[in-house]
Amino acid sequence: MDVDLRPVRKLRESAAARSAVGPIVEAVCASPADLARLRVVCDWIQYKQNFREPVVGRPVGDVGTEIAFDLRRCADIDLAAHIKQALAGPADQPGVTLEPWVSGRDSCIWRFNQLYWQALSHWEAATGREYEQSLPGGESDARNAEAARELILELFRIWDELAARRALPEELYVLELGVGNGNQARTWLDEFLALDRRHGREYYHRLRYLMGDYSPHVLERARRAVGHHADRVSALVVEATRPSVTLGFLAGKAFLVYISNVYDNLPTDELACVQGRTYRVETQAFLAEDDADRIAGQLGCRTGELVPLIDRLLRIGPELLSEASPDKCADTGQAVAFWQALWAALRLRERYVPLEGLDSYQVTPTLTGEILRPLIEGHGDVRMHVSNGALGSFTGTLPLLHPFGRVQCHDLFLTSSQQYRTGFYGPGKYDGSVVNWVNGPLLQLVASRRGYDVAYAPFRQRPGSNITTLTAQARD
Amino acid sequence: MVLLPTTVVGSYSVPEWLERVKTEYYQRRISAQHLAEINEVAIKAAVKDQELAGIDIVSDGELRRDNDVDYFLARIPGVHIPQRAKADYFDYYDAEVTRPLPELAGDKPGDRPGDGQSADTSTSLGLAADFLFTRQLTDRPVKFSFTGPFSLSRRIRDEAYTEPGDLVRALARRLNAEARELAAAGADLLQIDEPFLAGYPEHVDLAVEAVNLVTEDVPVTWALHVCYGNRYARPSWEGHYDFLFPAVQAARVDQLVLEFARKGLDDLRLIRQYDWDRWLGLGVIDVKNPEVEAAELVASRIRRALDYMPADRLMINPDCGLRHLAPDVARRKLRAMVAGAAQVRAELASH
Repeated sequence: MDVDLRPVRKLRESAAARSAVGPIVEAVCASPADLARLRVVCDWIQYKQNFREPVVGRPVGDVGTEIAFDLRRCADIDLAAHIKQALAGPADQPGVTLEPWVSGRDSCIWRFNQLYWQALSHWEAATGREYEQSLPGGESDARNAEAARELILELFRIWDELAARRALPEELYVLELGVGNGNQARTWLDEFLALDRRHGREYYHRLRYLMGDYSPHVLERARRAVGHHADRVSALVVEATRPSVTLGFLAGKAFLVYISNVYDNLPTDELACVQGRTYRVETQAFLAEDDADRIAGQLGCRTGELVPLIDRLLRIGPELLSEASPDKCADTGQAVAFWQALWAALRLRERYVPLEGLDSYQVTPTLTGEILRPLIEGHGDVRMHVSNGALGSFTGTLPLLHPFGRVQCHDLFLTSSQQYRTGFYGPGKYDGSVVNWVNGPLLQLVASRRGYDVAYAPFRQRPGSNITTLTAQARD
Repeated sequence: MVLLPTTVVGSYSVPEWLERVKTEYYQRRISAQHLAEINEVAIKAAVKDQELAGIDIVSDGELRRDNDVDYFLARIPGVHIPQRAKADYFDYYDAEVTRPLPELAGDKPGDRPGDGQSADTSTSLGLAADFLFTRQLTDRPVKFSFTGPFSLSRRIRDEAYTEPGDLVRALARRLNAEARELAAAGADLLQIDEPFLAGYPEHVDLAVEAVNLVTEDVPVTWALHVCYGNRYARPSWEGHYDFLFPAVQAARVDQLVLEFARKGLDDLRLIRQYDWDRWLGLGVIDVKNPEVEAAELVASRIRRALDYMPADRLMINPDCGLRHLAPDVARRKLRAMVAGAAQVRAELASH
């Protein structure tokens, strides 16, 4: 039996974590499981809202089973009963299944995530707070004026040099992907204007600040926030994972692409290497039986009616749902309450499906799994995010850079593959959205193959934050 | 020579599997001998691809080279490379010179081996052997390209020369010796690539001076290729070819090979403005874009160039090397280029 104790820091810090381990081993050994074919994985899931039961079973191809425990929630549960259920296999677990087995990136949790951004105003109205308040620290790191000043002064330095060589383009493009409520853009542009006045080169009048987001609602709100810079700002609907579709015209022109807290919110698969074999982690969203009954009861419908209603919610959103199904949701508020109850109850089952060769796996439309080989092979058992959405976005963004341009991105990044052995990095729930830490070493590797250096540094303007700053710029 | 001859700039598509094998070598997981054999097979395939596409003047695809710089620096005596393993084969080495490069006996003008004398090959860079391998693969004319002294110098940390131009000149003399060996081996079309020059337009006079040192007393057709960089299929710089003129008029070369497909044909005005009376290698294929041009588009680019150059001084080629294109894309682009040239050739013949 392999026992994988991942939360090494927590085990040192927390007596609760340590004391949970012994009973788990006892209970597993007392179970009828074939211990020779069993893997036991212990995590400490830091997200209070997540997709996991305290104990879950995962078939590993046809060679064994993995039972995963959340140490944070194992102290007060009937371990034997949970293990018995985990060993029963996904097909025998009660509840309402919302989708077939799919790769992580194709799960309906991403439809919920999309709905959150599209219907954000309704969600915020129901919770009484803006989404920024649900971020750690209560505000986006993007609003930090000192960070903006640092970046702008560096741009001025580059532009001065290019101007001296008569190589400075007439239009100076800056792109922000994922604009939130526009506070970042406002802070940045205000600082830019002030610094430009002091600098005296009139760069502000050559500036083209492009705001890209896939939500027209979010864009409109951001546009209002920068109304006093309106003649310098354009707003574009951009699919974050395929920026070049909308922004192809910008190829080779962007001096700065600024991205804040976007990548951790994009769809991802996970791959696992277990005993030398590589697996794709498949997931299946479901509602536990009790949760499904409770939610159906609140709507006054049968549990069997939930699945089509959920699909309708995800297709048309809460506002139209109340019009389309007034018998179940009399108004938008009730539809949002239904949505939030679903979201809170949403769980994922998992299983490991063998991968027939890394090149048979498509990371993005233009990138095969071959790129993963240096990270996933030859390093023992590991499970890692592929960060497909982030990678698609990142690789689509790099060609937009001017030869002297850079990408700067504040997000939740792992900076070493080793971290996958020592912690849990998602998926979790942030308010109504999904969060996964981004596979930083993978972005670094892909960028390197394309001639860009990627550096990671702690977010300097807020020490102690989990946020890491990625900087990418052309090498050589 | 056929009217509007088609050729390549130099490098050919490096398939993903070959990149992986090359990286294996630089991480010391396969031997140099195995890599050499694999490279030879790849070169044979590249030459065959070009022949099948109908290219008139072919190249070895530069498939032995890890990149446009290190293949040479690693062979030049006096260039020190502390770490020769690489995380990826295409990465550049950190190279340095700490003392002036050793001069070959006969390197200095007026002190070279005369006719009938053999050059000292003990410190040869081995380019003649590379050429001879390609020569015996095909009956078609072969272009052989190598990176010029100015661009090579930009990847060397110079702690030896007080006057930076002296490093460029020393490299040029070394390349001149190599060019003599290439000519002795039968090469008759040599091309100097200066991919870094566009980033340092203020040094164009030095670069031209160095080009002339390379070509000195080497009786072949000389081409000079200047582009805006093609590393990782993206330009390293932007701008226009104005910086080349009039300095490049002093270069003792027979052809100027420039990129036009990606940048547009506006810079053709310089050819007329400065009365460039030698050959022009017209870039008609964008090597940074995987979208394959239609033959008609290629033809339209050639027709436009004919407004500035007579057809008998126009060579048709891609903008730059094809190394970053997928093999199938490279093949289709070459076929489109050949078809486009054939269209215009037919039009000219019918007039």
